[in-house]
Parts: sequence; structure tokens; C-alpha cells
Amino acid sequence: MATLRRLQEAPRHLLVCEKSNFGHDKSRHKHLVETHYHNYRVSFLIPECGLLSKELKSLVMDIGPYYSVKNLPLHELITDEFINRFVKKGSFSALTYNTSIDEDNTVALLPNGKLILSLDKDTYEETGLQGHPSRYSGRKSMKFVISIDLMDLSLNLDSKKYRRISWSFKEKKPLKFDFLLAWHHTGTEESTMMAYFSKYHIQEHQPKVALSTVRELQCPVLRSSGLAGEPEEACSALEFFDWLGAVFCSADLNNEPYNFISTYCCPQPSAVVAQAFLCTITGFILPEKIHVLLEQLCHYFDEPKLAPWVTLTVQGFADSPVAWREKEHGFHKGGEHLYNFVVFNNQDYWLQMAVGANDDCPP
Amino acid sequence: MKAAIYHAFSHKEAKDHDVQELGSQRAEAFVRAFLKQSIPHMSQEDCESHLQRKAVILEYFTRIKPKPRPKKKSKGLSAKQRRDMRLFDIKPEQQRYSLFLPLHELWKQYIRDLCNGLKPDTQPQMIQAKLLKADLHGAIISVTKSKCPSYVGVTGILLQETKHVFKIITKEDHLKVIPKLNCVFTIEIDDFISYIYGSKFQLRASERSAKKFKAKGSIDL
Repeated sequence: MATLRRLQEAPRHLLVCEKSNFGHDKSRHKHLVETHYHNYRVSFLIPECGLLSKELKSLVMDIGPYYSVKNLPLHELITDEFINRFVKKGSFSALTYNTSIDEDNTVALLPNGKLILSLDKDTYEETGLQGHPSRYSGRKSMKFVISIDLMDLSLNLDSKKYRRISWSFKEKKPLKFDFLLAWHHTGTEESTMMAYFSKYHIQEHQPKVALSTVRELQCPVLRSSGLAGEPEEACSALEFFDWLGAVFCSADLNNEPYNFISTYCCPQPSAVVAQAFLCTITGFILPEKIHVLLEQLCHYFDEPKLAPWVTLTVQGFADSPVAWREKEHGFHKGGEHLYNFVVFNNQDYWLQMAVGANDDCPP
Repeated sequence: MKAAIYHAFSHKEAKDHDVQELGSQRAEAFVRAFLKQSIPHMSQEDCESHLQRKAVILEYFTRIKPKPRPKKKSKGLSAKQRRDMRLFDIKPEQQRYSLFLPLHELWKQYIRDLCNGLKPDTQPQMIQAKLLKADLHGAIISVTKSKCPSYVGVTGILLQETKHVFKIITKEDHLKVIPKLNCVFTIEIDDFISYIYGSKFQLRASERSAKKFKAKGSIDL
């Protein structure tokens, strides 16, 4: 009976909605954007807009390449040369590719220099490094998390800690993974990454950009002052979030009873917009670039425009071991962790953060 | 006593109470006739046996068994007393790795003899079976897998084996005490690597040679 009930329950989702103003001193938007490290897809929707402005278009096209390597052994990530060249200069992110967070071993390198390994029980017992059990395994822990601070290690290369870690990675249990890498640097060393990882089949990829114009779109009417919305005058943040998801899936918003796929109805009150511009960028995207994009969208309202608001949505990798900062992320029935900015023309913004079941509350 | 309770009437008393004295033979005949009348369906032998009143014996001993006398044997020391006597401690000046290398050579020779020469084509099953019963003092043993990460990687020569623990001396002359439970150990001889699952091995070395191992439970740590 208990099993049946458990199977019928939907896993919990958490949606946190905030509102603030970009000009406000204590606005946390920069911090939140920059601590969400592994971003998979960025989309923005601009109603009443037919073509992208030149600045936005150049930004989108220039969002920066990301690289993939095959069979990179872990001990390469703790060498002194690697730390000095890449981790200390700029922000370097890495994530294992094609590994499921709940089954396999996953490794992520965060821009602040922490190497996070999320290992299954047998691998953890063989590496011999100190870690702690994951918060989302049951009574008998199946998943363990080891966190290594590379900045700390590089201070003293002769320490017992460094020797033990390198012994474990080189001799005891050499682990190899396919990685996705991205590096944001302020210098001019463009090609060093390709040269450094040349032994591991490094390939450069450009993020995929999809631009489209949606015609005759029903948009809900929003008022920036009230998140909860008023019954006849504006929609609530929750309704807006659902509507945005329906638009991204290109679902019909008419609530036709004979429609098999979707009976979703646009929340009322709504207005029909002649055209809206939808742009989606897919790849391993750095948080710094997203911040630049957000700033540019804020400046969209510098000239008076018809649109009442614009939205920017960022989705994270389902298999990333961390969500925001170093909070653990798990895949229960859908490992989503995403955030959405709604920017209004008076520089107000709404921020909605959504996480799935095996996640902590977003900051 | 009987005399105090019973005594024959004197003649005078008999006359007073009008009791007629019968002769003893006449008395016996009278009693027999009376009995026969009252218990007519019993035979003469049954009457006799009733009168004689044989006792019924409940237990029948052929001979008296000697009581087992408690033997006086020496009690032996408890574990606490043994530890206090420090019989099995190795003094610090003797704790040097180089001192135990000849022991390791001896052990290798012993294993080679046990397995009738370790050729590269010997069956691993045979070696495993022999190792189960063999004594492991002097083997170079290392921890491959353990629930506690700090034990992993400890390598050294086995000095003592007790019921739950291995005492190992490492190359840096540290005496390490490793509990057997929840650990997997590796023994290597001449290119044959064997894994020992410590949780199934919780026996004194002396008892292990006589024990039959059954595959029960899982080998998951």
C-alpha cells in the first residue's frame, strides 16, 4: 500500500519567486547568475519585436566556444601547471559529459577552484579519499561526495594531502572521464587550451543558436509591483511561469477541448501580441556571458518600446552535481534547476528559481 | 512400645468384660475363615501376599555409580590479563621493517612449498583453497577497499593476527592495527593477486585451518 501511494505521488518541485529592482544596492541578481555554474540552455523572449537589435545579435553570436575532451584522467586536473595556468587566471569550469548523476561517477570543476566528485559506493571505497555521503541517498548511502579545494592544494604542493590525492588519482584508482570545458579569461591566450589538451582529442564547439519569431501570441498582462497578481488586472508569477513553459514548448494556448496534446489556456487577463521574438542558445555557457546578456536586456528599455516586459530563462545541466554555489543537486524524476528573469520597463525585475525533488532550496 | 499399647487381658479382666479367650491356633483359623468369607474371589496366594505386604521398589540400582569428581585444571588468563601482561607487544626498538623482511622470505618459501611450486599456469582456485587454511604471518598485505577511507592503501608485513584485527608494520616503521571488518585486503605472491574479504575472515588464525568456509551473505562492504 505504501509503495503504491509513493508511486502515485508526484515528486516535489520548488519555485521561489522574488522581485526587486536592478538599480537597488542589495540586488542579488549578479551573485545568483554567477554562482549558477553549469548552464545548458539560455532563452529569451521579447514581445512586440520583429528583429533583434544589432548589439543583442552580436552578443548572441559571440557567446563563446566551449570544448570537449575525451578520456581525460583526473590527475591532470590537479597538476600544478594546470592550476596556475587555467584555474587561477579567470574562471575555468568543467563537467563530465554523458554521465548520469544518480548512477555513475560525476566530476565537476567549479570556477572558484573546487573539484567536486560525486562517486558511487564502490568507487568511493576504493579511492580512499575523505568525503561525506550524499544527502539524497537513502538509509544505506549509495553516493558519496568528495570535495577538493585546488587553490588550497596549490599553496603547498608537498603536503601529505596533495601526495595522498595524487597517489589516489594516479595509482590507486585512476578515473577517466569525457569532459566539457569552458574558460573565461581576461587575457589574450586564446589557443592555449587547445594546445594544452591536445593529447585528449580536444574539440571546439560553438553553442547552437535558434532564432524564431512567434506570431499572434497571447501574452498575460503583468504588473511589476505585485508578484501574486490581482484577479482581473494582472497575472501571478506562478501563472506566468507556466505560460512561459508552454510558449517554449510551442504548445497551443487556446484551450481547445479536442486538442490531444495540450489543453493549456493562457492566463487571463491577456493581450494578443502581433509578434514576439524567441531566441534559444544551447551549449555549455559561462555565467559571465549570461550576466552580460542580462545587462544588455536591461538596456533594451533605454529607448521606449511597446513591450511591457522581456524574459531571460537559464536552465542548468540535469547531471550536474551542484546547483547554486556548492549546494548538492540530484536527479529524482527530472533533474531540473533553472531560473527566470522577467525584466520590466522600469528596471524592476521578477526572479523565479525552480528546482526539483533532490535539491536544496535555492538561495 | 507395643507392650505399652497392647497387652493381653488378664484372666480377671477377661471375665469382667466377658471376653472369651481363644487359643492362638483357633484365632488364626478364625481369621482365615473370616477373610475367605469376606473376600471370596481371591485365591489363597493372593491373600497371603496381601498379608505379607511386599514393598514396591521404584528404582533399581545394579551398582552404585561413582560421583564425577571436579578436575582441578588451570583457569587460563582472561583477555584483560593477557593484555596487561603484554606478552604479545612488540617493543619499539624492534619495530623496524627491515627486521621483518627475512620473515617475509620465509613465508614466501612456505607458500611455494604449500602450493607445490607456483608456476604461472597453476590454477587460482587451488591457491585460494590453500591460502584459506594457510597461516598469513609474514605476508605483505595491503588494504584495497575499506568503508573508512583512511585505511585504504596501508601496506606492510603482517605481524600478528587476532580474531578481529591485523597488526601490520609499514615501510615507515609504523605499527598499524587494522580491523578486519568492512575491509578488503590484497595478498600478492609471485604474480598471483588474491583478495581477502575481511568480514568473512573474523577467526583466529589457529581456528581458521579447521573451519569450512560457506558462501553466506554478500561481499558488499
